[in-house]
Amino acid sequence: MEGFALLMKGFASAMTLVNLMACFLGALIGTIVGVLPGLGPTATMALMLPFTLQFGPETGLIMMCGVWFGSQYGGSTTSILVNIPGEAASVVTCIDGYQMAKKGRAGPALAMVAIGSFIAGTLGIGGLQIFAPYLGAAALSFGPPEYLAFMILAFVLLSNLSGDSPMKGFLMISLGLFISSIGINPMDSYPRFTFGFDKLMMGIDFLPIAMGFFGISEILTISLQKYRSPSVQTIRLRDLYPSKQEVKRSVGPTFRGSILGFFVGLLPGPCTVISTFISWSMEKRLSKKPDEFGSGAIEGVVGPESANNSAVMGSMIPLLTLGIPFAAPSAVMLAGLRMHNVEPGPMLFTTNPDIFWTFIAAMYVGNMMLLVLNLPLVSVFARIAIIRPQLLMPFISVICLVGVYSVRNAFFDVWVMIIAGVIGFFFRTWGFPIAPFIIGVVLGPTTENSVRQSLMMFRGDITLIIDRPIALIFLIITALCLIYKILTILFANKMGKISILQKSEDD
Amino acid sequence: MKKVLRISPELFFDLLIIVLGVVILVVSVRDGLGSFSRPGTGMYPLFIALSILVFGGITFVKQLLSGETKRVFAEGTMGTFYMMLATFALWILIMPLFGYVIITFLATYAFSKVMKLEGWVKPLGLSAGTAVFIYLLFDYWLYIDLPRGLLG
Repeated sequence: MEGFALLMKGFASAMTLVNLMACFLGALIGTIVGVLPGLGPTATMALMLPFTLQFGPETGLIMMCGVWFGSQYGGSTTSILVNIPGEAASVVTCIDGYQMAKKGRAGPALAMVAIGSFIAGTLGIGGLQIFAPYLGAAALSFGPPEYLAFMILAFVLLSNLSGDSPMKGFLMISLGLFISSIGINPMDSYPRFTFGFDKLMMGIDFLPIAMGFFGISEILTISLQKYRSPSVQTIRLRDLYPSKQEVKRSVGPTFRGSILGFFVGLLPGPCTVISTFISWSMEKRLSKKPDEFGSGAIEGVVGPESANNSAVMGSMIPLLTLGIPFAAPSAVMLAGLRMHNVEPGPMLFTTNPDIFWTFIAAMYVGNMMLLVLNLPLVSVFARIAIIRPQLLMPFISVICLVGVYSVRNAFFDVWVMIIAGVIGFFFRTWGFPIAPFIIGVVLGPTTENSVRQSLMMFRGDITLIIDRPIALIFLIITALCLIYKILTILFANKMGKISILQKSEDD
Repeated sequence: MKKVLRISPELFFDLLIIVLGVVILVVSVRDGLGSFSRPGTGMYPLFIALSILVFGGITFVKQLLSGETKRVFAEGTMGTFYMMLATFALWILIMPLFGYVIITFLATYAFSKVMKLEGWVKPLGLSAGTAVFIYLLFDYWLYIDLPRGLLG
């Protein structure tokens, strides 16, 4: 009953003009970003951070989550109509979505995706609303050793799930942790890695790093690519009506995708992307007509799109209850909240319950807004996809420059952003995953505190961590993950050798 | 015939990461490691340095053994890359003199030409539109005071 009262209070706060505008703007920008290939939700959220500073933490959080949510909706539009995924989580949608469009069923595919995403989003918010306060309360019993063990587990999972090489994932986390350690050490006020440079005393701000790695590096990458103009189908409102059969076939995938996405969202890594791949293969396995997959099965479109929307909400749980972001967009959100002097974590529900409940209420409203926005305007959004990068990138470049400068009126931050952008460009080119780096930067201070406090608690004998049951469970899961990964690599190598041998024998 | 080891840019990049690891290691030892029960300033960075050296080393060796390298710049794109960087740098250097509105106009024009937007009408329109938008956004909606330069 108390939860209901708090939710109603949240709705009252979410319905203020500023929060409604923030929600609408976030959803709109998110949809546009989702439609546009190249610029992802993380880059956009980082780009919007300076602007959210002008409002309160609730408004900032609502706007940024609106962008993330909206990008999941928008990404499907171009996947279905143009066969171009607007962002990574919509790659799977291209497989069956575009095939449906080629058969003249683009309208129903878009309609069912929008409805499925709405249902998944609503269920995801419901899940967040129910589970987050309980998990937050449970997390109150976490001490530094538990945080340390959990962080180790998160880093291992993150490295395994991001990019093609876990080694590069680990390396990027380490580099991120290093960046966060620059500046005066809060424990003993001793400057580290400043090399006598005053501007580094306060450390390197997160914003220029995030905007450099996600914004500038993306701009540089796009500016070097050749542009091919795609052709876009025109969709009218009456084309959106699905047949009875299509609705019937979409019900199961929507609910399965919603549940699956929510739980995948709890894992570290690119949860929205992973959830779509799992959902597609799960639907194929469950289908009575698996042969249809790849040639326009509606289950292969609705399932993954429901899953990625629900995953967004699932991934908010570790952020809000533990203050640990598992994905790059939630790392940007954490940085945004910290800029407002709000520290998410178990205490959020007691110290700042308004933020949580306003956010939940605003997401219900935002989800409805996205449905209303996406169905009738689907053709308009599809046309945005054909805006040439030559028109868009100069505008975004200038927004990055002015945006970063405006936060502290410091040219130093702009230099940091550009240098980070150049380094990020090379990282991207050579397959180093960016997300673990950014998460490393954000989690650096928490990790250092956990390491130091755990060492001091155990008087230097870190093996005593196994006496803490919760920490032990996390460490066992970490060990199992590592063993599984090693076995997979060994098995894959063996299989690779066998197939090479067979191939050479065949030759 | 002797095989000559050629260091690709990718390999060089991996090597730089290892060098960074060594620098962090040296500085963290210099800063003081303390003991496990009372960690000093350098203890935590030491763990990071070791981690960078291990994972950076593995990445380097894997790259060295594979011998494959991904080309960074396709033909004729290196100039675009440097021109983009030059425009970013010029924005920083000239902004205090010209102010944010004028520099936004000039930088947008430069970016659009570097990215090969044809003609002059579209780049000019885009630059003017962006400058007006930035002015309205920062001055009217967000009330953020930015250097006005020549426009005082």
